Amino acid sequence: MNEYPSGSLDHSVPFLLTLGTRTGSAYDFGLSAALKEQAVLIRSDLPPLESDQARALLRYIQDRDASQLPCNAREMAARKYRFRVKAVERSLLLPPRHAPLPEGIEAPSPSPSTVLHSPYSPLSPISPLYPDGLIDTQWLRKHQELVPSVLLCFYTLVSDTTLATLCDNQIKTDVNNIRALLSQSGNKTRLAVVLLSDHVPSASFGEGIQERLETIRRGCGLDSKALFLVPSSDSQEELERVAENMLTTLYAVAIEYYRDLGRHSRKKRGRGIAPQPTVPPTSGTSQTLSLAGWNVRYDFKSAVFAEYRLEMDVALRSYEQAYENLLSSELMELIPSWSPRWNEARFLADVIAVRCLRSLLWSGQHSSAARRWQVHRERIADFVDRRGRGTNNYGWEAWEARWAVVMADLIDKADIQDLGPATLKLFLPPEKSVMGERLQPWELLHHTGYWHRLAAKHLQARKALAHAIPEDDRRSPSASPASHVAKSAFAYDTYMCPDPYEEFPLGRPGVDHGQLIVDRLMRARSEFLRRRQTRFAAEVSLECARELALAENWPNIVSLLRPIWKDLPFRSEGWIAIAEELNWALRTAAAEVGDAELLLLTSWELLSRDFTRRPGWHYDISRALEDVDLTPKPIVSIRDGQLQAFVSASFLFMKDEGRAGQSVRGQLSVVSNTHSESAPVVLSSIYLSFKGSLDGVVLRHQAKGPAIQQSQGKAILSSVPLTRQVDADAQAEPAESDETSTGVTLVGSSDLTLLPGRTLVLDMEIPLREPGETLAESLTLNVETELFGLRQSLAFQEAKNARLWYLSPSTTKHVAHPRPLAVRVLPRPPKMEVRCPVWKEQYYADEPISLKFEVENGEDVEALAKLDVLLFGEKPPSFTVEIPGQEDQTSFSVRSEETRLSGVSMGSIASSKSLAIGLRLPPIQRSSRYDLTLKVTYFLPTNPGTPISQTAVFQLKVVNPFEANYDLLPRVHRDPWPSLFDPEGIAPPSTAEGDSIPLPPKGISQAWTLIARYASFASEPLRVKDVDITIQPQPTAFRCTSTKCTELPASGAGRLVKPKTIQEAAFDLAAQKLTVDDRSHAHLDVSLLIKWTRVDTNDQTTSNITTLPIPRFTLFGTEPRVLASVSYHRRRRGATTIPTTPLIALTIMIENASNHFLTFGLAMEPSDQFAFSGPKQTTLNLLPVSRRSVEYRLLPLDAPPTPTEGKEEEGGGWWIRPGLVVRDKYFQKVLKVIPASEGVRGGKDGFEVWVPRRMVFGNAGQGEDQEE
Amino acid sequence: MATAIPSIACIGVIGRNNNPLHTSIFPSYDPSTNSYRPVRTPLQFSLILSSTLDVFELRSRQNAAAGVGLTGDFGLLHAVDDRLAAYGFETNTGTRFVVIVDMRGRRIDGTVAAGLADGRDSKRIAGAAAGLREGEMRPVFKAMQTAYIRLMQNPFFEPDEHSPPAGHGGKKITSRKFAGDMRRIGENWMPGVTNL
Repeated sequence: MNEYPSGSLDHSVPFLLTLGTRTGSAYDFGLSAALKEQAVLIRSDLPPLESDQARALLRYIQDRDASQLPCNAREMAARKYRFRVKAVERSLLLPPRHAPLPEGIEAPSPSPSTVLHSPYSPLSPISPLYPDGLIDTQWLRKHQELVPSVLLCFYTLVSDTTLATLCDNQIKTDVNNIRALLSQSGNKTRLAVVLLSDHVPSASFGEGIQERLETIRRGCGLDSKALFLVPSSDSQEELERVAENMLTTLYAVAIEYYRDLGRHSRKKRGRGIAPQPTVPPTSGTSQTLSLAGWNVRYDFKSAVFAEYRLEMDVALRSYEQAYENLLSSELMELIPSWSPRWNEARFLADVIAVRCLRSLLWSGQHSSAARRWQVHRERIADFVDRRGRGTNNYGWEAWEARWAVVMADLIDKADIQDLGPATLKLFLPPEKSVMGERLQPWELLHHTGYWHRLAAKHLQARKALAHAIPEDDRRSPSASPASHVAKSAFAYDTYMCPDPYEEFPLGRPGVDHGQLIVDRLMRARSEFLRRRQTRFAAEVSLECARELALAENWPNIVSLLRPIWKDLPFRSEGWIAIAEELNWALRTAAAEVGDAELLLLTSWELLSRDFTRRPGWHYDISRALEDVDLTPKPIVSIRDGQLQAFVSASFLFMKDEGRAGQSVRGQLSVVSNTHSESAPVVLSSIYLSFKGSLDGVVLRHQAKGPAIQQSQGKAILSSVPLTRQVDADAQAEPAESDETSTGVTLVGSSDLTLLPGRTLVLDMEIPLREPGETLAESLTLNVETELFGLRQSLAFQEAKNARLWYLSPSTTKHVAHPRPLAVRVLPRPPKMEVRCPVWKEQYYADEPISLKFEVENGEDVEALAKLDVLLFGEKPPSFTVEIPGQEDQTSFSVRSEETRLSGVSMGSIASSKSLAIGLRLPPIQRSSRYDLTLKVTYFLPTNPGTPISQTAVFQLKVVNPFEANYDLLPRVHRDPWPSLFDPEGIAPPSTAEGDSIPLPPKGISQAWTLIARYASFASEPLRVKDVDITIQPQPTAFRCTSTKCTELPASGAGRLVKPKTIQEAAFDLAAQKLTVDDRSHAHLDVSLLIKWTRVDTNDQTTSNITTLPIPRFTLFGTEPRVLASVSYHRRRRGATTIPTTPLIALTIMIENASNHFLTFGLAMEPSDQFAFSGPKQTTLNLLPVSRRSVEYRLLPLDAPPTPTEGKEEEGGGWWIRPGLVVRDKYFQKVLKVIPASEGVRGGKDGFEVWVPRRMVFGNAGQGEDQEE
Repeated sequence: MATAIPSIACIGVIGRNNNPLHTSIFPSYDPSTNSYRPVRTPLQFSLILSSTLDVFELRSRQNAAAGVGLTGDFGLLHAVDDRLAAYGFETNTGTRFVVIVDMRGRRIDGTVAAGLADGRDSKRIAGAAAGLREGEMRPVFKAMQTAYIRLMQNPFFEPDEHSPPAGHGGKKITSRKFAGDMRRIGENWMPGVTNL
């Protein structure tokens, strides 16, 4: 807007001029020299007021100046008046109403044709518009700055009564004088007087004052509204109140003034004729302004006066009318483009358009304003294209830029609240009147940032066009041939912009386009930033930087782009192209500025292959700092994610679990993603940082290091041996690694050259020290050269971490465990080993158990060890521990189920030596199960504070080696029973009580056979040395003797009993009551004793004895028994023994152990199985305590033809069933026949007798060989 | 008489992490050379697309405060200048579609307009030349969303790869079908088209 002449575009505000106060500086009216001569001087004769009150009032009025107020209706509603205020001391110059006749023209003859006109009118030859101009800024300035609507004169109202009249008269004179001068000037400026009272108001004074005022008013011929009194008062509020009242009143007067003027111009337009100039034009075309031109002039004037009155819609209408007429075919179309009037008309069109826009913005029609803006541009473009010099030159672009700036300024001026930065709105919604229409997006009024940017865009175009001007035109006209000048004069649009030889002169700087563009862009940028459009602002900054680069203003580029490059998320969000642009721009600027750090950072980032390759660029970080002064040596650190790093790294632990003291393998892969042509980057060191027990790993570059490198395809695999950092290094390293070294740092070296596109895989064996979790956290790559130091940090992320384990450079495998960055470190495993070389699956009851253990020290150093032994189970026995060189120690029982021995010192065990310890347990009685826990706690001299323990648990299983069952079979006692009547059997009366001499037993006797079947339940064969029984306790009522009939070898070596085989042992028992009188039954308690040893034991002398208690037997019942026994006799026929069935002697013995006389009937039924001899039917009487036997001889018939009758049994024989019934005659009860020898067995239907097919003698039956 | 009417100059799909997923650029009519070519360079379009993110952020803040904007259609984001204007749409999952319209991107000859025969059509086109109505971009976004949904339905398309739930950036969409859809939408749209 500043490019337009001052006053041309300003908002028209009523002009108030004060007269008669002392001001600091004189008001310059700026009248042109020609007019100054003619100007009317208005002078006040009174001295200017200098009182404080007058100054305060003036200051207040000046403060209320409205010329800079925002142009909108909202602001107006809050104010009652609006003035543009200027102050003069005593005199003012007013332009003459009529222009004088130009010199050289004779004095006006009184002919009516010579009419003098205003000097601003195209009718007056003095005016620059003469003869055919339309209207210019002079006229606007006349009303805005020269001719006030109200002239406010300050006077003192003297309170001193002696001087009052004199002074009042002076005032009257002065006012009348001014009035006369005003009317002489021809202006209708309203006159107003303000009187400042110089005395404290009092009642008496107050009365007189009204009269005085009235006198002055009348004397001056003033309206009642034009005289004001300011009472003398110290109160600022009072002054303000009076001033407000005064200004409000004066405003109405001023509006009336402008209304009169407006009416006047409308009247003139209404005349409908073009006035004749004072003197007909003699120069140029001698063409005068047409009627259409006059109409434009009048419309424009009415519009301006309406604007003074703030009747904006009226003003808009008039402006539009003027605009349409101006651009109509009658006016501008007719003006030739070479004429200066052409540009004047363009200028007028601009002015009208601007004033239209302001009116629209005033009433809040924002979209209409934007549209109006576009319409004007298009109309002018069309016009310039058709009639002017076209739109394809720098002049047009300059105008376009200016036009955008004008709009921006207007928007600023209108101070639209809805578009303020605080609202964060970018554009306004369309107003109601255009709501439903199809709107261009640009017609929604955007904030000024967009307009400034648009201006910048056109300025760039202007620059491009300016730079395209051919050299001939750029020469100054004085140096060019005239023909050229003439030609170029029509080729360029120079409306409001310099000629081509000024725009872009040859050999010297012309218009600084770059600066113009940058100014606009910076304005736009600040607007965008205020509305948090950071990305848009960045875009603008980039454009700006491009311009600055052309101007080689490098430091500004750095300061402009660096924050964007640093803070904006373009690269992290993936707007690579933008980041790339920024980088190159910054890199270039940094190189010029010599900012080594920035240069390093941008060069480092530009290595990434994500960016497009710039051909011819060296892509070598070591050459990044060429041509830059390097003092001091630059060192930069780059955070992870700060830059688009071309390296990425991942780390893997091979296993997710490890043990302290052991080591775990880890692989670090560093991928270089640079352009393939770029130079290899040599990392000086890599620092791997861990969380947990491990502090870090430092890998240093060493071109021919100890690491073994394999390279194939895209990967380079090297395994790096790590050593623990030596102390001498410890001081140097932390400074490099930024870590406060509390843990362990490991050092290794390898070739750390990053080749483009390759993956550097570093395989490491990482020792683990402390239990807990060790997590690979981050990585720092250091590039250290003579010129610079660069440190790039990379953080490992589980999600981004590649899970490939390089087995070889070409083969990978996927690591499955979920967190490959972490390894769980379990506590250090004890290396002390406790083992039992001979541990048996089973141990047996009744066997003393002796266990041997070995404690082996697998540690590298000797260990001081202690032993805890715990035996846990049901009623565990106490045990004894034997340690060589120590006393045996016996355990004590803690609870009923626990026996322990604690803290047995084992002394120190040398490394890789073992110590044998023994553990003895006494024989355990029953089968049971124990847990034997051996815990070795030891300390290493290297770490005496930490106890390490190793625990071994053994299951001690104790089983009974044997189980047995028993049969007690009755037998017939050989000895005769004692007779009740035999005196020898009578026991002698005991001589004395407690007679200890045992008497030979005299009572009845019985015989039994005890058959014990025992089986080994051991898991291995055992050697049974002897089987025996003991009668325990010895019975008192009878005497019992036993005879062992076992088939164990007599040698004493015993027999090997295999597991789960049943062995039989038979014992004959003979029992005899002590006295015959004793007939009560008696109990027999017997235990089976098995003497055995393990097969593998060497010790054959001692044997274990397992005692198996046999259930209690009851002997000597009083019931009668029938015992059947058989004996076999060989039959002979002739001299030879015929192998045939034997003759069987069956003896039935009936025992009556009772005190009764009993009678039994025996009946033998005949059978077809055998023949028998003996009583078929007989009766036996038995005395008390006696027994009798009956004998039968049985001759079995030949072997049954079919095995159905009398089943054939193995061993060659069969059973026959004699039908013998023994019946108690008295009780009529059949007695059961009890088998009492081999060859007889009890059956379901009676007893059965064995008939051997072949007679075997000697081992069965009691019969003797007899000859038939 | 030749009339310039709006056309699509660029279509951008921006992921949840403000990462560019897809960009298609369409040529506009250039009256000075009487040919079709993109009105800006890819870098400039990239800058324009990224600058819409500012508007998305501002607008979603305003929408959240006002409790409106559930449809996801952001309408006009801003007019970049007097020629280009950016329109935006946000899906429920935070993916944003940006259409940059060149208000003078396509030329219609008067003869062609007349050739469209009946008065209604020519009127429509004449009206179209003036500007855009508020909902006129809706078919474009609808078509884009349909294409995007089709892309998401592809079992081999991994959305998290393109917009990681936590973190930055993401891969670009490489689907040729999707790019083809975008091309079709960008080439076929003109003011007044209701179905793409």
